[in-house]
Amino acid sequence: MLAPVEAKGLSEGLRLYGWMALSRELDEVLCAANPRWFPSAGEEAAMVGAFCDLRPDDAIAAHYRGPLVIYMMRGAEMARLVAQVLGKVGGYNKGRSVPFTGPVDLKIVPWVAGDLGTSLGVATGAALAFQQEGSDRICVCTFGDGTANRGDFHENLNLAASWRLPIVYVCQHNGWAISQPAKDYLPAPVANRAAGYAIPGLEVDGNDVDAVRRTMMGAIARAREGNGPSLIEARTWRAKGHWAADPQDYRAIHPDTPMADPLVRYGDRLIQRGEASATDLDRLRDAARAAVASTLEAVRVLPDTGEAELGLDEVHP
Amino acid sequence: MEAVIEAIAVAMREDPRVFYIGQDVGAMQGSMQGTKGLWEEFGPMRIREAPISESAMVGAALGAALFGQRPIVEISFGEFLPAAMNQLINQAPNLHYMTGGTARVPVVVRTRVGDGPYGGHPQDYSAWFAHVPGWKVVMPATPVDAKGMMTAAIRDDGPVLFFEGMSLSHAARAPVPLDAFETPIGPARIAREGRDVTVVAVGSSLPLAVRAAGELAAEGIELEILDLRTLRPLDRDAILASVRRTRRLITVHEAWVAGGIGAEVVASVVEEAPEVLVAPVIRIGAAAVPVPSGKVRPHALPNARHIVEAARRVMAGTRA
Repeated sequence: MLAPVEAKGLSEGLRLYGWMALSRELDEVLCAANPRWFPSAGEEAAMVGAFCDLRPDDAIAAHYRGPLVIYMMRGAEMARLVAQVLGKVGGYNKGRSVPFTGPVDLKIVPWVAGDLGTSLGVATGAALAFQQEGSDRICVCTFGDGTANRGDFHENLNLAASWRLPIVYVCQHNGWAISQPAKDYLPAPVANRAAGYAIPGLEVDGNDVDAVRRTMMGAIARAREGNGPSLIEARTWRAKGHWAADPQDYRAIHPDTPMADPLVRYGDRLIQRGEASATDLDRLRDAARAAVASTLEAVRVLPDTGEAELGLDEVHP
Repeated sequence: MEAVIEAIAVAMREDPRVFYIGQDVGAMQGSMQGTKGLWEEFGPMRIREAPISESAMVGAALGAALFGQRPIVEISFGEFLPAAMNQLINQAPNLHYMTGGTARVPVVVRTRVGDGPYGGHPQDYSAWFAHVPGWKVVMPATPVDAKGMMTAAIRDDGPVLFFEGMSLSHAARAPVPLDAFETPIGPARIAREGRDVTVVAVGSSLPLAVRAAGELAAEGIELEILDLRTLRPLDRDAILASVRRTRRLITVHEAWVAGGIGAEVVASVVEEAPEVLVAPVIRIGAAAVPVPSGKVRPHALPNARHIVEAARRVMAGTRA
């Protein structure tokens, strides 16, 4: 079924709110259904704001925390994505890869292993392809603040800066690498590293979707005009555990400061601006809840993936 | 070497999507002159000089391939492959399969291994990659195959690892057809027919086997030499067919013996038809030490004498 935000006649603000609300609802339901799902509650503004101003022919590589709604913004079907998370038939990956992957025909860099950092390389390659073909297509790649310490981060930003590739790197900085707090592994803001590659490095309030979009606009334009990559650090906050059933005992040892809920913040702003009423927002959240519930109901009854999806003949084309 | 460059040049003239990523492939014309002439002909946008960042180079090639290009990425020497291992193992071979068979990544990874004229970077890690489903792994032994298999690798829609034995790079000369032609990835080739012992030789070990065969012929021992050409997929049928004729088997490669491709060659016989063997098999390869860069190196590597002695032992050890 169509996502509620695809309903005609919604204002831009309400559409963004709708995607964020849908992500929140989907996340909650998937966490309940799969204890190993990676929750994204509280990070929706950084996620949606990084990807909502791209063209369909641009490429994206989304961080593993919260990518499903990003894929849906590009046209992926919720039921097929949910099937991946529940281990049911019908998923784009035929039950083979990690469940947070998306369909490549929608210009999505797929997740084909559980390692971190390699997606920066493949995303950089997408930007290289666009430069080779002489088009003005770009790539946006998001990743976590933990991933930022992989060697691939340095290698790829340096290579993209050297070759002026059309890509925007966005660090979805939620303050945690599983159980370790960022202060223990990031001696300085990730954005500061941009200076070492002579590219723009910008920190932004990652829980303010408008601010994320404004920052992205400049970086997207720069990439599209052939002026090379940018690094954006969207500061957000991980509201839940690393995985859904994470007991998070470490949080008592490393107490952190919550950030205001981006969904509530954006809803309030829409009301203040007169762009929406509380009823409009309620209606969108209700629609999201209904869409997710009916999707889950439909997917739950599908058969589990099994030997039929093993695909011995699909190892090498 | 010239044969490989020729294959790349022909492919780049034919197809604008083919481009090249490597270190020192511009003004220097490549490690061991391995890209001689390409930069002058195709310019810096299609012969891309990369920073010393093997992981980013391979990742960029994979991404470019995923989005419609057909890159060749050169890792100057096989010793540097481990710097890109995450991309080479967790990404390249997985992309097609893990996406439900939808992603296409036509990437060639070209690299140099083994003993060579300068003696540096001799480690041969080719067997690691033959272990992994999703890779095709080739190691040609002749100039004609070097050109034909590079052409086949570039035209393949999936990832292909192209290993060049460095001792072959500026070695045997042979006429190579000028036009583009493909030597299919997979089939092994009988380099010499013989009735007594099958020697399965890989890449740079082929000339050693040929030399040994000449010496043994004088003693009345006839080697059949199978040039393996491809480490994955392995040509089990050709191996088995040859051993059915000779009933004796020796394997030889420059990489280490333990866990090497020779073991897989032996397994392809003993799993299918153990009864055909009338003598113990012998595997020849590098000594079980990190291959030395200094003058100790020749003592660690296989040579023709090893093959001659192995063949004599195999003949002597034949059951009545």
